[in-house]
Amino acid sequence: MSQGRDDGNPITTYFGLSEIGGSPVEQKLTELKRRKTKRRLYTLLGIIFGGALFLFSLGAVGFSLGELVKQWPQFIDALGGYFPPGTLFGVIPFVDIGQYWEFMIDAGLIFEFETGAGGIFGPLYGQEVVGPGAMFITLAIAFAGTVLGVPLALILSVMASERVVPYPFNFGFRAVMSVIRSIPALVWVLILIPLGGVGSFTATLAVAIDTVGYLGRLLTDELEEISEGPIEGIRSVGASKSQIVSFGMLSQVFREFIAWLAFDLEHNVRVAIGLGIIGAGGLGLELNIQRRTFNYTEMMACILLILVLVGSVEYLSQRVRSYLREGDEVETESIVTILIKAPKRIISATAGRGRE
Amino acid sequence: MSTLTVDDVSKYYGDVTAVEDLSFEIEDEFAVLLGESGAGKSTLLRCINGLASPSEGEIRLNGEPVNSSQADIGMIFQQHNLVDGVSAYVNALNGGLNRTSTLRSLFQWQSREAKEQSLEALQTVGLLDEAHQTVSQMSGGQQQRVGIARALVQNPRLLLADEPVASLDPSSAETVMTYLKKAAVEHDVTALVSLHQVNIAAYFGERFIGLRDGHKLFDVERDGLTADLIDDLYGDVETVGLSDSRQGDDELDPEAVGEMVEQRVES
Repeated sequence: MSQGRDDGNPITTYFGLSEIGGSPVEQKLTELKRRKTKRRLYTLLGIIFGGALFLFSLGAVGFSLGELVKQWPQFIDALGGYFPPGTLFGVIPFVDIGQYWEFMIDAGLIFEFETGAGGIFGPLYGQEVVGPGAMFITLAIAFAGTVLGVPLALILSVMASERVVPYPFNFGFRAVMSVIRSIPALVWVLILIPLGGVGSFTATLAVAIDTVGYLGRLLTDELEEISEGPIEGIRSVGASKSQIVSFGMLSQVFREFIAWLAFDLEHNVRVAIGLGIIGAGGLGLELNIQRRTFNYTEMMACILLILVLVGSVEYLSQRVRSYLREGDEVETESIVTILIKAPKRIISATAGRGRE
Repeated sequence: MSTLTVDDVSKYYGDVTAVEDLSFEIEDEFAVLLGESGAGKSTLLRCINGLASPSEGEIRLNGEPVNSSQADIGMIFQQHNLVDGVSAYVNALNGGLNRTSTLRSLFQWQSREAKEQSLEALQTVGLLDEAHQTVSQMSGGQQQRVGIARALVQNPRLLLADEPVASLDPSSAETVMTYLKKAAVEHDVTALVSLHQVNIAAYFGERFIGLRDGHKLFDVERDGLTADLIDDLYGDVETVGLSDSRQGDDELDPEAVGEMVEQRVES
């Protein structure tokens, strides 16, 4: 349509910089083009700025492809350590799983053994089991820390709610949780070393504090979204303030609370492994000891156990959460079905086109 | 035996007048508040219950002023306001919170008497068999009956209901109203119920207070409730079925109410 008209310079017209046309539609069109030009300019600036920042960051960390090439043979050597070659049934070439297993038993990663001692768990592999191994220490740090953190998380999240504590003051409690969260658990351990020394005890305290920050925040969010109705219902029967909080408010978020608790336990297992690396005991500690002595096979044995531990806690936590999401309908799918359906579900979750 | 006195009560929200200079007294009867949405029915009930406080005037129960929510005034809400995730039994038990310390109530260490009372209240509303069910899985009518049970457990001297059947289908509405009236009669409590369905009101009510724009338009016994009054209250609307329903006797006859309601819906 515009072919027959004198539109002026085509470039300025394209970018919406020339004044053309008097009709409202043409004016709007020019305006839209101008907006688009503006948006493009900002995008361009963003790309330039982001690119510059990326190059600067690479320089700052001394990133170099040459270094990768130089170190590559060394890494290949290490890979041989990570995955010691062996054979399956004496013929098929495979990773020598026996080496991992041997280390897990020798180093007491799963259970602590002692030769000939009267153990509490009874004999295994001709030795007496005398206590839980590194794997269970990690789990214990996470579990005990989570449980210790729950009461304070509950109290702080309730106090952070505007319904309980009036507006400016409830933010004080939010701030406390926010400060706790901005300090990583790794740093909390360092802070607490004078109190509990370097070890699992201090790590448990650190996990507890971490739980207060995270679980408290998640609960605060849940409490924001509860409905006024049940609160009013409880209030109308003449209940006390603490009864209104427990029956009107907390009872509304009970399911969500259990679900987040399961999620936080899962998170804390990963935290506990990280804490182990800086000396808090458990699998992380063992992993770090083996790293220092370049025992790659032993390192991989630790990593495999980490996978098993984190994987199973994550699986349990997900079961709990999906059970609570689906209300009282009991989940009937077996583990096998879940594994078979997993890829399809992941795809449908990301692409949003799955049909079941 | 209890008397509710509303003495010259006004309630303002900023510049908005919800209720103005309202006075009446009800004693041992099943009274109905009539009026359009926004006439001030809910505000008045919330003031009587103590969930809101009147800007002017006073509300007294048996001569004692009502200042805050108290156990002897039971309230039934339109949206029932139950705790969704727990059973009907626990919701009924909540009615007795006022008589239980927080710690005891948290662990459900109520007295055997309180527990039995909760189940009896559920029996009154015909839900004894469903006592263990989670309320979120119940129908709207059943949830409202749990709401009645909770109010009964409070041992109320006054029972208030704010549009208890507004969000229900006609047959559930009739059931809920039947149980509500039964509860009030069996427990010998004064009741004040706000309704906008005139036919239901006419069938169950003994005393009718009409509100319009926050003012009292009429206050009559059953005989005095005429079609003209209803026209005044709602403006020019159809009131078919009203004359039929006013002939109903005092006995609860759900079938008759059902027919009446259907007629109303059809018209």
